[in-house]
Amino acid sequence: MLKKRNAKDWLLDGFIYLFMIALAVMTLTPFLNLLAKSVSEEWAVVSGKVTILPIGFQLETLKFVVTSSNFTSSLGISALVTVIGTVMAILLTAVTAYPLSKPQIPGVSFILILFVFTMLFSGGIIPNYLLIRELNLLNHLGSLILPGMISVFNLLVMKSYFEGLPEALEESAKIDGARTFTILFRIILPISSPVIATISLFYAVGYWNDFFSAMLYISDPALKTLQIYLKDIVINADLAALGMSPDDMMNLPGEGVRAAAVIASTVPILCVYPFLQKYFVKGVLIGSVKG
Amino acid sequence: MLQRKWLSVLLSVALMLGLAACNTGGGQQGDTSTAPGQEANATKPKLKVLYPSQPEDYNTYPVAAVLEERTGYKVQYDMLPADNPQDKLNIVIASGEEYDAIAVRGTSADKALFADYAVRGALTDLTPLIDEYGPNIKKALSEVTLDALTIDGKIYGIGNRTMEFVGGGLLIRQDWLDQLGLPLPTTVDEFVYVLEQFQEKDPGGNGGQNIPFSILGTDPFPANISGAFGLTNAWNEVDGELLPRALAPTLEDYVAFMNDLFQRKLLDNDFVINKVANLKEKLTNGQAGVIPTTWAEVTPLVEAIKKNHPEAKLAFIPTLQGADGQMGLSAASGFDRITMIPKSAKHKEDIIKWIDAMLEEETFKLVVLGEEGKHYTYENEAYVPINPIFTDERNRANNFLIGLDEEKYPIYWQARVRKDPVMFEAYEFLNMKQPEEAAQRDALRLAPYLPEFSKNSQSLDTLSNDTMVNLIFGSTSAGSLESFRQRFNAEGGEATVQEVNDWYKTSGN
Amino acid sequence: MVRQIRQHWEMYLLLLPGILFMLLFKYTPMYGVLIAFQDFNIFSGIGGSPWVGLKQFEKLFHSPEFLQVLVNTLLISFYKIVLLFPLPILIALLLNEVRILWFKKTVQTIVYLPHFLSWVIITSLFVTILSPSGGMVNELIKMFGGSPIAFFTDNSVFRSLVVFTAGWKESGWNAIIFIAAISGIEQEQYEAAEIDGAGRIQRMLHITLPGILPTIVLMFILRIGNVLEAGTEQILTMYNPIVYATGDVIGTYVYRMGLGKLDYSFSTAVGLFNSVVGFLLVIFGNQMSKKLVKRSIW
Repeated sequence: MLKKRNAKDWLLDGFIYLFMIALAVMTLTPFLNLLAKSVSEEWAVVSGKVTILPIGFQLETLKFVVTSSNFTSSLGISALVTVIGTVMAILLTAVTAYPLSKPQIPGVSFILILFVFTMLFSGGIIPNYLLIRELNLLNHLGSLILPGMISVFNLLVMKSYFEGLPEALEESAKIDGARTFTILFRIILPISSPVIATISLFYAVGYWNDFFSAMLYISDPALKTLQIYLKDIVINADLAALGMSPDDMMNLPGEGVRAAAVIASTVPILCVYPFLQKYFVKGVLIGSVKG
Repeated sequence: MLQRKWLSVLLSVALMLGLAACNTGGGQQGDTSTAPGQEANATKPKLKVLYPSQPEDYNTYPVAAVLEERTGYKVQYDMLPADNPQDKLNIVIASGEEYDAIAVRGTSADKALFADYAVRGALTDLTPLIDEYGPNIKKALSEVTLDALTIDGKIYGIGNRTMEFVGGGLLIRQDWLDQLGLPLPTTVDEFVYVLEQFQEKDPGGNGGQNIPFSILGTDPFPANISGAFGLTNAWNEVDGELLPRALAPTLEDYVAFMNDLFQRKLLDNDFVINKVANLKEKLTNGQAGVIPTTWAEVTPLVEAIKKNHPEAKLAFIPTLQGADGQMGLSAASGFDRITMIPKSAKHKEDIIKWIDAMLEEETFKLVVLGEEGKHYTYENEAYVPINPIFTDERNRANNFLIGLDEEKYPIYWQARVRKDPVMFEAYEFLNMKQPEEAAQRDALRLAPYLPEFSKNSQSLDTLSNDTMVNLIFGSTSAGSLESFRQRFNAEGGEATVQEVNDWYKTSGN
Repeated sequence: MVRQIRQHWEMYLLLLPGILFMLLFKYTPMYGVLIAFQDFNIFSGIGGSPWVGLKQFEKLFHSPEFLQVLVNTLLISFYKIVLLFPLPILIALLLNEVRILWFKKTVQTIVYLPHFLSWVIITSLFVTILSPSGGMVNELIKMFGGSPIAFFTDNSVFRSLVVFTAGWKESGWNAIIFIAAISGIEQEQYEAAEIDGAGRIQRMLHITLPGILPTIVLMFILRIGNVLEAGTEQILTMYNPIVYATGDVIGTYVYRMGLGKLDYSFSTAVGLFNSVVGFLLVIFGNQMSKKLVKRSIW
């Protein structure tokens, strides 16, 4: 099967690899910069000497951040919310997206418009707060999980994927007498790993990065999420200085600590993508099912 | 098979979550459970308070345990977010959450909200409660403090007064001065001469990247130099009247002066985008000769610059005199904290008892300073902290306090500044070694509720600062100052000035 | 009709939980948009606040800066759509051509990193890199004999800066959806084309691109719905009074005007205005794509 590569191929490859390397270098620098800051000595960070290599290497700052009880407790909360939220959200999104991918079912397009409408219109923070309060979910992890369980964006992505699946798959199962639930869980979902992987990533990142719900619905410090923790550490010193008592000012965390906090609270979620990448494999399953 | 397993895991997780939701629904409210051996506390309810954010959890911070032991009250401490706490506070108050006390920072935005709540009847009148249950509160807080949070003759808040000291000044490279054989400048003209010399002689050897003077993009009125133009604070007294900087007669001169520095590149031509970190960077990497900063932030600067330039020496510039002898360093004033008790509070008497117990002399000292010999020592008539335990267990103590023993706290408080000799020296220079008239307070910080001022001050400040930045930068001509003032007045400036001065004339200043 | 519903009852059953969630968490609080037509006071609530009709909208449209702000918003959004929408697609297409698996995975993982950093951090990084006094980029410009550019305070380059940094931050992340879509394309199509003697670029244009067209269309329709959101959070961290003339957008303007005022009605009205415009554009986009490419959301 392998053809001999011609000059045009070499040129194309050369372009692609150069492009990719340039892109990777450009996007990696800020992270390297933060990483270097978090393991450099404070004086070097303050005077802006640290670029992508640490100056005066030390691990004390990172260790201080990672072992502080504030960090570990909020890491636990965020991890819990992300794992439970993602699993439940995917299940809910899948069962909703499947019927919506069948335009022949009456009412589907109306329901879709209803969903899309909520992407653009929202009631604002006050009614949302009152709703969560009515549901007795204030200061409860449910307030961080439940409202985000159906993202219309992800719903549409999944629906669009289902629409692209060959009709024949379902037809043959129906002829064999399979019910809708069976078809969805035994035939459709097993060949949907690329889309499930994609929206798992979206949901996980969404839950992990969600600052707003925690800010609004959680007041108990024991339930603080990582994003709230980060805001407390990386609080904008410029704004804060205006309304800060001298005691708070003396206690402002150093820049090294801030960089370390950012690194420590971002790395866990970054590990999700490489793990999901193996499901981004070209139609392997479709092929095998059909075969 | 595998999928079925997966599904059942999912379902059980969902179920568990549902159950958990049911469980905590009821258990959150006032828990009056009694532990054996705590009979004395049996009748004391668990209190619930909402505090400003801090990185550590209040509930597990050592001070919480000290307070519980000394007062006999169990307290659940909740926290407001660090970012835009006012948004959430509004909703919490309006929806009547059952907090026994809510403490906010004392920024003008917080103060405005506090007054708004009081006027709307969302807060408890504390006057009778303090009379009955607050002997220590009455002893500790001065009349001025209570008056500033009194509306229509009723006390609605307990304030923690800010220590009235000078915070910020201009930090200069003393070693550059020494190198050029110049003394510390004491007048605006001398200051300009120093900047010129810094530019011409380039003592730091920076070449084209030399920055004689750098300031923040968010504050076009840097400390000390603004004072020399009579613009020390946001509002200053001019001929017996309080005027905002925007309407001060000296503003033209100030703008012309700063714009001139900018044109001649004596002032950092990138100042517009400077954040605090950029300023610190420019100073410590040896580019900048002068920056505004506060004594509280000075230690890391000294450490960093020594590493980069071992010969470097930093000093604060003494209070500069303007052309007509004006001078001023802004002194903090007003409140660090304001605590209120919402109408919806469940334990109004108990919360006052708790606050009162906190202000009891021994308890207050134990909270602020800790135990003698363990957290601090008393030497040469000064409290000196023992580190690291003082920092570990008492650093955030100030965040727990509701009301201050206004006589004792300033004395205790110095222990915090003495944590660090470099910082203490800077504090001392700005506060104890300057002419007495240098430190100027913003009279409005302790003013009572002024509706126009509350409503307009933030947006007017933004408008002024934005315009000043443009004028100094030179992107708008100085002639437009007049049209800016018209707009300033039209957007509430005039009404605010009127209101402020009606109060100021009667306040006995 | 009834027969059809009966026939699909299992499908409706599947839909039920999703619809309930939507009704509970999205539509129950929807009454909040009424605030836009009131002079809302949080203590009186929606029931007790006075109705003012379209006053809040008039306040927006009649404010002296509105026209400038609207123009800035539309321009920045337009540039972002034209220049930044195709970029993730290009990244995905090119990545698909990379044969070395570890290289591909590594690049994929790296390019999405900036998405996880907040704008505050990214802005401070660019301030350093682009500084006219000693920043890396300006040193390069000087080396080639140019004069330094004050990127953050020059009205003629500020919009470009906003668009460039946004692309830099989000392109890698936005490419993920297209990468996933490409992995859904059936392998047989490529094999057949290869036998027909199609070159790599031809396969890219005639198989891969059409294969992800539904995703592209979907993303595009959703993207134009956000046209009045030109990047408030980003611009708030990047702009300064000097570049209000080119960089002030609706979101930042409303933020600045509302400082310290907690004017719920005004901000709700502006939000509602954005939503209505966005929704109309989404409907329009959906109809157009139904006509042009026979694809649509509903």
